[in-house]
Amino acid sequence: MRSFIVSCCLILSTTAATAQQNYDASLISKDLLPYASAVVRNDEVSVEVKDLDNVIYHVKKAITVLNKNGDDYAHIAVYYDKNVAIKNIKGLVYDQFGKQVGKFSESNFDDVSVGGESTLFDSERVKHYLPSVTDYPYTIAYEYEEKFKFTLYFHDWIPNDDIGVAVEKSSYTFTCKPDFKIKYKEINLPEKAHIGTNVQGMTTYSWTINNLKAIKYEPFSPYFKNYASSVEVAPEKFQYYGSTGSFANWNELGKWINDKLVVNRQELPYQTIEHMKEITTGITDPKLKAKKIYEYMQNKTHYISVQVGIGGYQPFLASEVDNQNYGDCKALVNYTQALLKAVNIDSYYCIVKSGGQHNISLQNDFASMTQADHIILCVPFKNDTTWADCTSQTIPFGYLGDFTDNRTVLALTPQGGKLMRTPKYTAADNLEGRKAKFVVSAEGELAGTMTTTYKGVNYQDCDEILKEAKTEQYKSEQRRYPINNMEIENLNITQDKSFKPATTETIKLRARDYASFNDGKIYFLLNPVNRETFVPKQLRNRLNSVYITRGDTEEDEVTYTLPAGYRLEKKPLHVNIIKPFGSFFVTMELKGDQLTYKRKLQLFDGTYDKDTYQDLVDFYQSIVDTDEYNVVLVKN
Amino acid sequence: MKTPVLFIFILLCCSFTAASAQDFPFGTITTQEMNMKNYAKDTSAHAVVLQEFGKSRIDIGGDDRIKQIYEYHVKIKIFDSKAFDKGTVKLFLYSNDKSDSYEEVSDIKGVTYYKDDNGFTQKVELEDKKVYPVKENKYWASHKFAMPGLRNGCVIEYKYRIESFRWYKLRPWEFQDDIPKIYSEYEVHIPAFFNFNASIKGFLKLTKNTAVIESGCFETHGAKSDCSLINYGISDIPAFIEDEYMTSPKNFLSTINFELVDYTSPYDNIKHKETKEWKDIDFGLKTEPEFGGQLKRKGLLKDKVLPIIAGKTDDLSKAKAIYQYWQKWFKWDKIPGIYSESISKAWDTHSGSVPDINLSLVTALNAGGLNAETVLLSTRDNGNINTLYPVIGDFDYVVAKVNIGDQVYLLDATDPLLPFGMLPLKCLNDKGRVFSLDKPSYFMDLNLPQREKSTYALDVTLQEDGKLKGTLTNYSIGYEAYKRRVAIKKFNSIDEYVENLNERLAKWKILKSEVGNVDSLDLPVVEKYEVEIDAYKKLDENNRLTFNPFFFNKITVNPFKLTERSYPVDMAMPSERRYSIILHLPAQYTVETPPQNVAIGIPNGGGKYITSYEPGENSFSFTYLTQFNNSVYGPEFYPYLKEFYNKIILSQKGEMVFKKK
Repeated sequence: MRSFIVSCCLILSTTAATAQQNYDASLISKDLLPYASAVVRNDEVSVEVKDLDNVIYHVKKAITVLNKNGDDYAHIAVYYDKNVAIKNIKGLVYDQFGKQVGKFSESNFDDVSVGGESTLFDSERVKHYLPSVTDYPYTIAYEYEEKFKFTLYFHDWIPNDDIGVAVEKSSYTFTCKPDFKIKYKEINLPEKAHIGTNVQGMTTYSWTINNLKAIKYEPFSPYFKNYASSVEVAPEKFQYYGSTGSFANWNELGKWINDKLVVNRQELPYQTIEHMKEITTGITDPKLKAKKIYEYMQNKTHYISVQVGIGGYQPFLASEVDNQNYGDCKALVNYTQALLKAVNIDSYYCIVKSGGQHNISLQNDFASMTQADHIILCVPFKNDTTWADCTSQTIPFGYLGDFTDNRTVLALTPQGGKLMRTPKYTAADNLEGRKAKFVVSAEGELAGTMTTTYKGVNYQDCDEILKEAKTEQYKSEQRRYPINNMEIENLNITQDKSFKPATTETIKLRARDYASFNDGKIYFLLNPVNRETFVPKQLRNRLNSVYITRGDTEEDEVTYTLPAGYRLEKKPLHVNIIKPFGSFFVTMELKGDQLTYKRKLQLFDGTYDKDTYQDLVDFYQSIVDTDEYNVVLVKN
Repeated sequence: MKTPVLFIFILLCCSFTAASAQDFPFGTITTQEMNMKNYAKDTSAHAVVLQEFGKSRIDIGGDDRIKQIYEYHVKIKIFDSKAFDKGTVKLFLYSNDKSDSYEEVSDIKGVTYYKDDNGFTQKVELEDKKVYPVKENKYWASHKFAMPGLRNGCVIEYKYRIESFRWYKLRPWEFQDDIPKIYSEYEVHIPAFFNFNASIKGFLKLTKNTAVIESGCFETHGAKSDCSLINYGISDIPAFIEDEYMTSPKNFLSTINFELVDYTSPYDNIKHKETKEWKDIDFGLKTEPEFGGQLKRKGLLKDKVLPIIAGKTDDLSKAKAIYQYWQKWFKWDKIPGIYSESISKAWDTHSGSVPDINLSLVTALNAGGLNAETVLLSTRDNGNINTLYPVIGDFDYVVAKVNIGDQVYLLDATDPLLPFGMLPLKCLNDKGRVFSLDKPSYFMDLNLPQREKSTYALDVTLQEDGKLKGTLTNYSIGYEAYKRRVAIKKFNSIDEYVENLNERLAKWKILKSEVGNVDSLDLPVVEKYEVEIDAYKKLDENNRLTFNPFFFNKITVNPFKLTERSYPVDMAMPSERRYSIILHLPAQYTVETPPQNVAIGIPNGGGKYITSYEPGENSFSFTYLTQFNNSVYGPEFYPYLKEFYNKIILSQKGEMVFKKK
């Protein structure tokens, strides 16, 4: 939701509407068909830098859609704004034999605004069109031109960036004057760039790739750019909204962003500066001062996205946030920096790629404008670098959560851009710890109190529930925990917002019919609330290594007081699994009428060999099986 | 059982007694409003509407045309940041590129009152340049703004005015929202030239309902009239909270709706009837170019239909042939509705809306010599229709009805996987109105005898290596077959579907598979698998083996967990699931603990759960069956449904034990 760079999501698609090409679907190699619902027959992107404020993209693409699931891949979407103009969109439709059956042009395209739910305004728009063809397979071949009025960044070339599509042929050509220097990065390419000079004396860089099979979804995969083929290109000298610059590395790019887009936007009204001094009077520790100011900012502001032109990269003025009380990530970080400056605390504006599923770092060896999408704050206290996200009204100062943890970011320092690393939450940090004491009555009722502590990235696990009204919180807890007939007698959720934040949830509950009776025996589930039900699917040929983004720990200890006069029918459960990527321990012990159940599950972050995958499936299956364990009690 | 109350008011009569109400003044705030710490009637609310006033009037616009002028004004107390989203306002306006039909917003004003860092009340106004106009797409534009200066405890107030060419569609008013309201009032001014029906939906009762005559309030080109001035108000409105298994919140939200009955043109004094009776609506639809006009274009489709039914002798196979052809010919563009601009244009582009596809289907069936009609309906998300008086505006979908002998089939050709005579779930809602060119229209019940049914039969032998080996046969019948086809078609081939199935069942190995009738839409989907299941490690080590006979879809968590419920539980359609297992044991084992036989029912024949165990020679068979016979259960059934599941879960906790002889 928090968007920093607006226009970097252009769907780069390409292709050829040349009449000579034969689009008969039966000509597609059988090797490309598995898991493919569409096949890119030909994709040609050529980028021509005519001048610092004049770049022409020629895009040509032909794609054969094999069945209904592939329709979305035929959906053409071209983004534009005042700095990007679209020209000459046209295309042809072919039947399965490669015979032309239709055509389309710009008038068939819908023109819509891009801004999503959380966006107040976004100046970017998209023209899009999905041809309607009912006989499969069919092929569409289209082309268009885009004119960019800047050279600050270029679109990446990723020939196969989605699951379910195979690629017959894809190519990318970059043409520029000999004195226009570029840097480029090739990832997973079989062949290096062909560099040459064309008849006009321009320098050309070109890449081609053939026969890429469709990517099949594999759970626990690394970030797709780690295994997909791609080329990224960045300029050395560039122009952007009338201002020029150049960069060879992160330091220089950071300096340009700071000098041209960020600096001199932190002026605040006198009263606000005085107020910051006032609320921090008496606090000597700079970190506690910063915390106080951060909390002031949280209470005063909220996140709203407004992206207009250069504002896609430039924060609102701090004085404007001070007056309006809202802004996007850029504006809120810039405002917080201004507030901190009022009490002489220096801080950095940091550019980061956000997202919880993978922790994606900026590339150490390749500086470019297109790698990030969010801004966070860094406060470099002596020997205690502290980080904060300014878009939330509730998280504690110093807490990043799984949105921006453990990755390389670009900090704008007075010395220019500097790559820094955000803190990592280890398996031990990410805790869901639970202690419960229950009584199982002779009628089968379960009653008692359960306390759960959430730490690390789990700190936020109760945030959604905390937003609700109290009466709704009871309902949400009833829905969340798999205890049938659960009546909550008391619910208490507290958050400790110190530098080691923790959320604690205490529930006093009662549930009739927790245990059932059959043939004089009593049955109940040993694991009352934390039963794992997910097993990753098995894969015949796993291609990617196994990637666990972050580790975590679940620790449960449940004590049951049993009805008198019963003993266990089966041997007590005892599980002990240790693997490189995780461990799982369960014990169960009956002493008198006290049955104690302990469960500890840990996952460790890291990259593991792809052959480990079946082990991981088996590991989860064992957990699921173990968690289904029924206690069977028989009369003494 | 509580049911939403539907009242009717005919606005013709007016009294002269009640005083005219007014909008509250803009830009004032009381200390009490600023100091409010919470809302006493709902202390957990994050915000409360202090006052809300809306006004719609039919008047002459700046361009000398009849317009509807709507004014909205609200003041909201925001207790904490969880309700800051109330400060972001998005106004959507109709704005058609290709015609002069558009709506305009003006006079947007906003102000936020807050206590500054020193505890003094301050105000900050919304700046004009911070209101963002956006052209969303071909038909819609929007104006968006975020109220400035929000902070905990602030009060926001804003107002705006919308002028619309749609004078005939008087704006409805929603009394209820997801935050409580202290007071909400709607005022309408209707010149005597126009006559509307008003209806109220929902549980809440009006606390104010007055009507007076306003004299000489409307004038155009020399024609003058009085107006009815009516005020509807409700105080102490609770927040509306959605529940699961709820059909459409629209059925329960407290709302007031208007429908034009008739009007006299102020220009020529001619009276136009609108929605007085169904026969008027019938006539209107019949003569409407985008409805009846399309149904009359039989000639257009005749040439296309004749080859499709060539050689077919009976009506049923003719109808099926046309339906299947239509399903294949058209791609639905995801747009619902009841009016088609042109069925021929849709035909040529292979693409169309619900009415494009289904109106042309009706026309094609008739062109093929069959007896076909249209059925107008309101989809589940759109809510139930008003059956108290004729309203066309409630319908948002149209399907075909073909009558063959004494059989009736409802058809929706927008989905290529629907079998002949089956409607998608979204259409199974309340009643539909059957309309044809030559007969009066009438209501038909849309609670069709459609159900979802599946059976799973596992026949396996326990082997010495601890594995269960045998066959699994699964039939998906009725709507279940449709759902299964949708699931299968998500894959590029049946092989990929089976591969995925195997990937998801870690303990299962599918040795051979046969999936039948995927493309024979009228038949059940049949799946047969030869399977090997990891059940035990090795047999010889154990004297006793425990076995869970609830092999499939064992229920451990009750879907109904709340203490009480005030809305009906909507299960969409009756369903039945039957699971059976036949297990052959090795000679040295015998069953020590069999499962208990259980039979549970929902009152009034609402459903049942039955298990039955039958021992055999070194084998046993066990069947369990769950059946729900109703589509909708009233809130008074909630405890029974909850208990029904509770009993099922208890029954499924039991385990069988096999013992060495």
